[in-house]
Amino acid sequence: MEEVVLRLKDATYRHSLYAPLPFKPWRKVNGQGIFSANLSLHKGTILGLVGPNGAGKTTLLRMMAGILPLQEGSICDSEKNSSTVLSDVNLRNMVGHMPEQVRWQGRKTVRDALLEIGEMRQVNESRIDGLLKLVGLRSRIDAPLNELSQGMRQRLTLAAALLGSPNILLLDEPLNGLDPVAAAAFIVLLGKLTDKGVSIVISSHQVEGLVGIIGRLALMHRGQILAEGTMLEVAEQLNLEKRTEVSGEGKVPDFSKYVSTTELIEVEQSSGQWRAVLNKSEPGLLQNLVADGIDITSWIIRQPNVIEMLCAATGQSIEDVGLEVSSTAVMPLRNFRGEEE
Amino acid sequence: MSDFSRIMVFAKRLMRERLFSTRMYIMLPILLLFIPGMAWGFSDPNIVLPGGYQPESPMEVLFYASLGVVFGATMCAVLLSYDSVSRERASGVLELRLSQPMPRAHQALAMILGSWRAILMPTWILLVFSVLIVRYRMGDWPSVGDGLVYFISTALILLWYVLFTLLASSYTREQGTAISFGVGLWFLFTFLWALVTTMVAYASGVSIGQENDAAWVVLEGGLDLLSPNGVYHHLLETRLPQIERGIEAWQIWMMALAWTVVPSWLFIRRMEKILP
Repeated sequence: MEEVVLRLKDATYRHSLYAPLPFKPWRKVNGQGIFSANLSLHKGTILGLVGPNGAGKTTLLRMMAGILPLQEGSICDSEKNSSTVLSDVNLRNMVGHMPEQVRWQGRKTVRDALLEIGEMRQVNESRIDGLLKLVGLRSRIDAPLNELSQGMRQRLTLAAALLGSPNILLLDEPLNGLDPVAAAAFIVLLGKLTDKGVSIVISSHQVEGLVGIIGRLALMHRGQILAEGTMLEVAEQLNLEKRTEVSGEGKVPDFSKYVSTTELIEVEQSSGQWRAVLNKSEPGLLQNLVADGIDITSWIIRQPNVIEMLCAATGQSIEDVGLEVSSTAVMPLRNFRGEEE
Repeated sequence: MSDFSRIMVFAKRLMRERLFSTRMYIMLPILLLFIPGMAWGFSDPNIVLPGGYQPESPMEVLFYASLGVVFGATMCAVLLSYDSVSRERASGVLELRLSQPMPRAHQALAMILGSWRAILMPTWILLVFSVLIVRYRMGDWPSVGDGLVYFISTALILLWYVLFTLLASSYTREQGTAISFGVGLWFLFTFLWALVTTMVAYASGVSIGQENDAAWVVLEGGLDLLSPNGVYHHLLETRLPQIERGIEAWQIWMMALAWTVVPSWLFIRRMEKILP
C-alpha cells in the first residue's frame, strides 16, 4: 500500500449559526459540519470525495486546507513513519487548494493575479509562466481577469493551487465550467501529477467521469465519512457484489424461474428490447437463458457504481439521497426558535 | 523574503490596484477641488470668515483647508476600501488567499497598508500643492512642525476611516452593507456629531453653543475625542496658539493612538478568524 501522507483523526468542525433570542441577540448554536472524520491520504493517489449536496465535502476540504480550524481531533503528517500534528500554517504550506468557482474579476492581468498568490507563497516569478502553460493559459497571460471565460477562470484557479509545488492538492468541483476537451485534458494532468507523487483529493458531482482515475473513494453523508477505501474495498465494506446487466430482444423473460426475486434489482422494457440488472453474478444464468431460447444481446458483469455505493452506505434510495438536497439546504437542524434538534 | 518585505510587497500590489482603479479616477477631481481648492480659497488675502475673522498664518489657512480632508478624502477612503474583503469573499478569492501559508495577521496588515496608502498618496500630494498655494498667496511657509503635524494628522484620519471600512467589509457578506456602514459612519462623524454634542450638553445642563462658556468648550472638546474628525481637529489645533479647549496635547495624542490601535487590532483579530 502507498505511503500515507496525511491522516485525519477524529477531525471535527461544526459551523456556528446565529440563533438570536430576544435577550441574547448574539446567541449562536452548533450547526452542520464534519463529525469525527477519520481519513488517510495516500501518496500519489487520487481520493474521490462523494456525497450529496450538503454532505460536508467542501467543509472537509477546507479543514484539510487549513482554512477552517479543527474543533476536535487532529491532522497529522504521516510521512516517513513519523506522525506529527500539523498546525494550520504547516498544512497550508504543504497543501494546494482549489476552491469551487473562484470568480476572478477586475482589470488586473492573469499574470498579476497569479503573482499575487505566488508572493504569498514565496514562489519564484519564473514559475508563473510554466504553470500558465501547464493549464493552457499562456496565450491569455496579459488578459484582464474580466475577459476570462468560466473555464479559463477554473484553469487559473488550478494554476494558483499548483503554486509552490504542493504535495497535496485539494480540488473542489474542479470540472465545473470546463468544456469536455478541457475536462479530459484536466484528467490527464491529474494523472501526471499523481505520477510525480502528488496526492489529490477531488470533490466532484461528476464523479462518474473520474471513476477511472480515482484510486480511493470516501463516501460522505451528513458530515460523516461512511466508507473509505479503494472501490473494491468500499464495495466489500458495504456488502455489494458485482452486478450483472443483461439485455435482450423480445419479451422480458420470467426471471423468477432463474433467480430469487431479491437478486433482481430492476427490469426495463422498451420497443421490443429489455434490460435487467441482478445484484450478483449468477453462475449458469446465461446458459439457462440461452437454453430456453431467450435472445440475449448483451451480458455485462460490472462493479457497483458510486451512486449505488452511496445508497447502500446511507441505507437510502436514490430518491431519498437526492431529494434530501432540499432538506440539507436548510440545515443545520434547528427548530423555529433556533434551537438545535 | 522576510515577513516584513512580504507584507510590504503584498500591500504595494493592493495599493496599485486601488490607486489606478476607476473609482480613484472619479474621485480625483473631487479631491482636487476640495483640498488645493480650499487652500486657494482660504489663503485669499481678502477673505473674511463668518464673524469677521481673517486667517493670519499659513497654519491657520491649512487648518481651515483641512475641511477638504474631512469632507473629501475621508469619503474617498471609505469608497476605496469598502469592498477590500467583501468582494474577495464573494468571488472566492479570499478562500484562495486564506489557504496560503502567509499568516492571516500579515495579510490583514497588508490590506490595511495597501488601502491606506492608496488614499494617502494622492492626498499627501495634494497637501503639498496646498502648502505651495499658501506660500504663493500669503508669501510665507508653515513651520516644519506645523507641516509635520498637518501631514501626520491627515494620514491618521485617513487610516481610521480605512480601518472602520475594512472592519465593516470583513463582517458583511454584501458589498452594499459594507459601503452603507462606511458612509453611515462618515455621516455620523462628519455631520451628526454636532447633534450628539448638543444632546449631551443639553442632558448635562450645559448651555449649548456658548463659545464663551467654559463648560461648553470643555464638553465639546472632550466629546470630540470620541470622534475621529474631532481628534483630527484637536491634533491640528495643537499648532494654533490661540485655541484653548481644555484638552492637553498628550490626551489628544493618546486618543489618536487609541483610534489607531483598537480598530487595527479588531481587524487583524477578525481576519484571523474569518471564514470564507
